[in-house]
Amino acid sequence: MQIYLPIAEMSANALLLLGLGGIVGFLSGMFGVGGGFLMTPFLIFTGIPPAVAVATGANQVVASSVSGVLAHWRRGNVDFKMGLVLLAGGVVGSSIGVFVFTLMRELGQVDVLVSVSYVLFLGVIGMLMMFESLRSWLRSRNPSAPRQRLHVHLWIHRLPLKMRFRRSKLYISALAPALIGMFVGVISAVMGVGGGFVMVPAMIYLLGMPTAVVIGTSLFQIIFVMANVTFLQAISNQSVDVVLALLLVVGAVVGAQLGTVAGTRLRGEQVRALLGLLVLAVGVRVGYDLVAAPPDLFTLDPHVSGVL
Amino acid sequence: MRLRRFAGAAAAVFVAVGAASGAMAQAPTPLVADISSREIAISTGFAGAELLLFGAIEGRGDVAIVVRGPRGPAIVRKKERIAGIWLNSESRSFANPPVYYRTASTRPLARIAPHAVLERYEIGVPNLRVALATGEHQEGAADFREAFLRNKVSAGLYDRDVTPVTIIGGRLFRATVWFPPNVPVGLYQVEMYLFRDGRLVSRRITPLVVRKVGIEAQIFEYAHQESMSYGLIAIGISLMAGWLGALIFRRA
Repeated sequence: MQIYLPIAEMSANALLLLGLGGIVGFLSGMFGVGGGFLMTPFLIFTGIPPAVAVATGANQVVASSVSGVLAHWRRGNVDFKMGLVLLAGGVVGSSIGVFVFTLMRELGQVDVLVSVSYVLFLGVIGMLMMFESLRSWLRSRNPSAPRQRLHVHLWIHRLPLKMRFRRSKLYISALAPALIGMFVGVISAVMGVGGGFVMVPAMIYLLGMPTAVVIGTSLFQIIFVMANVTFLQAISNQSVDVVLALLLVVGAVVGAQLGTVAGTRLRGEQVRALLGLLVLAVGVRVGYDLVAAPPDLFTLDPHVSGVL
Repeated sequence: MRLRRFAGAAAAVFVAVGAASGAMAQAPTPLVADISSREIAISTGFAGAELLLFGAIEGRGDVAIVVRGPRGPAIVRKKERIAGIWLNSESRSFANPPVYYRTASTRPLARIAPHAVLERYEIGVPNLRVALATGEHQEGAADFREAFLRNKVSAGLYDRDVTPVTIIGGRLFRATVWFPPNVPVGLYQVEMYLFRDGRLVSRRITPLVVRKVGIEAQIFEYAHQESMSYGLIAIGISLMAGWLGALIFRRA
């Protein structure tokens, strides 16, 4: 069933887009990532212009995140206080990120820098997550091993402005999540993604939050980050396609609900191992495109900016 | 009225041509031509469109048809391997080639008219002027031009193959031209040429509008003119959809 997308200015298969939204929504609900790092390459692959793919992907992420947050909230798995502190840092960080992005564009080759940072971040984070989760999975199968501490205290936790985060079972400096939020904000703006795949491991490994709470909290702050991206893209590039977004959203909302249920059936380290694998796979794919000989050395304008 | 003899499959078309040629009866024109619609409307279910080009010729001759879209600048980029990574290195801007280009003819173009004539009227992809923008490096221009054509062909917007024009009864002609789903909007033109012994006898140019209609057009307009409220509405839709989804699934 073909449907015409008014902003992308092309027809696409509606069922394909619904399915795509569903798959990304499922992963989003399961892992607490917005799914932008999956959706954008998928959309570009189906022929949607990259600028429209980035902007509309952001809009779709808002919907799947809302759906996911509400599902996690009912299970008491959202730390709103933590989310707000992360968000405050994120706002500062994304402003810095937009500035860095503009600077990189003036230097030229922004596409490659974006792709390289994809490979670097996805590769490193994917690998770290997989190793860690496999290790803790092996440990859990061996009950005689010494019990792990709830979380390790790092220098970042000992900064001033200590605050109690009840849901996360943490009493740490508010500067820690604020700094992490800021760092992720920079990456989000430069790479054009929500940053969940950086935020989730940072919350787990750097802040020491329980995996169950991390996902809901990450989704909570992604809503705001991606709503902001959608708005900025709409006013500066007019590249948000509501028809495309609606198709993806319908699929994603359903997918996110199913994903949340599936996620609660998995153990924390299993979720982390699977997310690590997924992140690594996308990183390898982007890396492959960077080094593999392109089918045609020449491309006709559709100015490939933003992601990939 | 001798047209009636050929009443066949495309009866409606024939009547239209008959009326047109009837009006011209006093001063016979060598070429009358029209298209099945002056507008291609892009609406929700748009999956490409086929346009019927038809007409009648006086006496013998060959018909060539060119359909071209609005002109606009284009940039072709070339990738190069630097430190193992493929980077966009060189690029060339082209002045203003048409966004869409198709040809149709009764016989292979080379047999219809001399090369110089085809080139003058830009009939056939090899004769289309795709010139570099002023101030561009001329170096490697041929490669970039070929790459431009290759990309246009693979996007379905150009076609190197010449669509056949069928002549019926030595007088009526018809051809169908395909407009793909990704056809850009704008003012197109359908040019129909009549050649006799390699010489241009007559030419008819008919405008054709490709535009978005209905809700698609309104969404596009709104996104460009009221982009701030468009953005807020887009976010609102997403928030609502997400909330609705969660609500429905809680009941279930």
